[in-house]
Amino acid sequence: MVAFHLKTTALALAFAAGMATQGMAAEPTLDLVGPLSEYKLYVAENTAQLVTDTEAFVAAIKAGDVEKAKSLFAPTRMSYERIEPIAELFSDLDGAIDARADDYEKAEADEAFTGFHRIEYALWVESSTDPVQGYADQLLTDVKALDARINELTFPPEVVVGGAAALMEEVAATKISGEEDRYSRTDLWDFDANFAGSEKIYDLLKPLIAEKDPAFVTKTDANFKAVDDVLAKYRKDGGYVSYVELTDADRTVLSTRVNTLAEDLSTLRGMLGLN
Amino acid sequence: MSDPASNRHLYWAVAAAACLAVAGGAAFYYATLKNAEAARGQTADRTVTITATACEPMELSVPGGRRSFEIINASDRPIEWEILDGVMVLAERENIAPGFRAGLTVQLQPGSYQMACGLLSNPRGTLIVTPSDEAAQAASEVTLRKFLGPLSEYRVYLVMQGNAALKSAQDLRAAIASGDVAAAQTAWAAARLPWRHIQPLAYRFSDLEGRIDARATYLAGREEDPAFTGYHRLEYGLFARNSTEGLLPVADQLVTDLEILKTRLREAPLDPQLLISLPVDTVDRIAQGQITEGENIYAGNDLADLQASVEGVAKLVGLLRAVVAPVDPRLDERIGARLAQVQADIDALKQGGGFPPYATVPADRRAALATDMTGLGAALGALQDVIGMN
Repeated sequence: MVAFHLKTTALALAFAAGMATQGMAAEPTLDLVGPLSEYKLYVAENTAQLVTDTEAFVAAIKAGDVEKAKSLFAPTRMSYERIEPIAELFSDLDGAIDARADDYEKAEADEAFTGFHRIEYALWVESSTDPVQGYADQLLTDVKALDARINELTFPPEVVVGGAAALMEEVAATKISGEEDRYSRTDLWDFDANFAGSEKIYDLLKPLIAEKDPAFVTKTDANFKAVDDVLAKYRKDGGYVSYVELTDADRTVLSTRVNTLAEDLSTLRGMLGLN
Repeated sequence: MSDPASNRHLYWAVAAAACLAVAGGAAFYYATLKNAEAARGQTADRTVTITATACEPMELSVPGGRRSFEIINASDRPIEWEILDGVMVLAERENIAPGFRAGLTVQLQPGSYQMACGLLSNPRGTLIVTPSDEAAQAASEVTLRKFLGPLSEYRVYLVMQGNAALKSAQDLRAAIASGDVAAAQTAWAAARLPWRHIQPLAYRFSDLEGRIDARATYLAGREEDPAFTGYHRLEYGLFARNSTEGLLPVADQLVTDLEILKTRLREAPLDPQLLISLPVDTVDRIAQGQITEGENIYAGNDLADLQASVEGVAKLVGLLRAVVAPVDPRLDERIGARLAQVQADIDALKQGGGFPPYATVPADRRAALATDMTGLGAALGALQDVIGMN
């Protein structure tokens, strides 16, 4: 009886203590300036790369080279997927660049369906570059606009810190299902980029949280490694095999770890006083 | 084997445990209640239901401040709910599965916003945020958090312009090494620009600044003084003597110094106080020094340098205005007007799209520019009392 009470008490006290820490918001410190600015430099490198890669991708489409365009599709997207927390702040460009067919009433037939996935549909399903000549030009204009807008943007600290979890949630909620690159089955490239983008934010913040919560760091490091170990099995020729080759067992491992990462990383904002 | 002392200890231990159990139980009960309340979403200020075609309701009005929303996905596909300010996403709750509900809490300032309602092809809803004491209080509060974005952005600027300064000095060195005076003159003028951008902070590293930007006027041996190094020593060789002779070691040293500077800029700790004082110090220094006497006395391209300095100051001013605008809109406007006046003065000196030699700028125009620059400094000086943090 006493033992039972002691256990309950310990649990309740731990719970109450947890509530108290959450209620008493930590104040952010100047230590965040380093990680926040390093993150913008990382994003700037990626948008510059996105412009360069998109130029080559669009050139292949303009030249009517379906095979070359197919080979450039997945690698070109990676620099976009790495920086999605920031890129999707611009709703107009995000919609134009990266929307899925089912974001629109008429799906693939909808004229507002543009960008990477409309082109993906042309390359893999329609097997032609003809229907997307205009969309290709528009894509290049849009990524250049994105690059310019991001360079001008003062990054909101809470978006940067929250971005680590946002990327994981995105993978967990929509990407594991294979929704994103449904025509090309290049989903694993996007996973890699989303993980890299999330891990970049986490790595930059790690020195700030290592002292406060070493157990969190140990656990999160292990989860990132587990995800990477699964992905490593599917790497091929500097890229990834088709998403259909992912085994159910590995999909389950990925799903579990990604959900845990999403949940754990979502506490970063609170830990750093940015709720 | 009964030890009365240890029995007494046991008694107190049990009594204490019992007290803890009661307190703990109460805490647990309270926590469970709170949790259940949050789970039912009863604490949300507004509920929005997303159907296949729209938000319900399509128009919402809330008082400004920290507001919570509960979003119910009544459509048959995963959705995200966004509050949009123009094209910018102000806040969003992503990946809400069909049939599920999710919460979003956001700090809102008065204004009219849009709400994303499911499909991109669906019409957008309207969110009206009305003025409130809470919002006014949040806007006028000066916190460290409000400086984090601006400080980080300035650090990015320093890193990028520091890199550009190094790169352009390497180009200048290459032109000097090739012995091409005309190319080296062009490269010299170009190399000055990123240097002027970072000068507000670089100026504070006096050892480096002394080597990088030394001027003969302030040295005992003038142009022959061994301490005459850096940009102006190169300027003297290229423009006064029209030669690259003897300049290569000077260029090498400049490249080395800019490499060191690049690292120092990256490592320099930034804080609100520094951010506020840098543009004031910079414009005051320029108003009292360069504008009257000129600095690039051999090349005579002071106006291009001044333009670059104004750009570097404008970067800082833009970041500070974002902090001060909600706190003191009139000061924000005054700073904006003063900066625009300085920029207009410089633009007005252009001839045929370019800047004339500084020697041709008459004294009254220089005086006017110095006055306006001082005026900008005075407006910026008022920031300390409004958003200063010590």
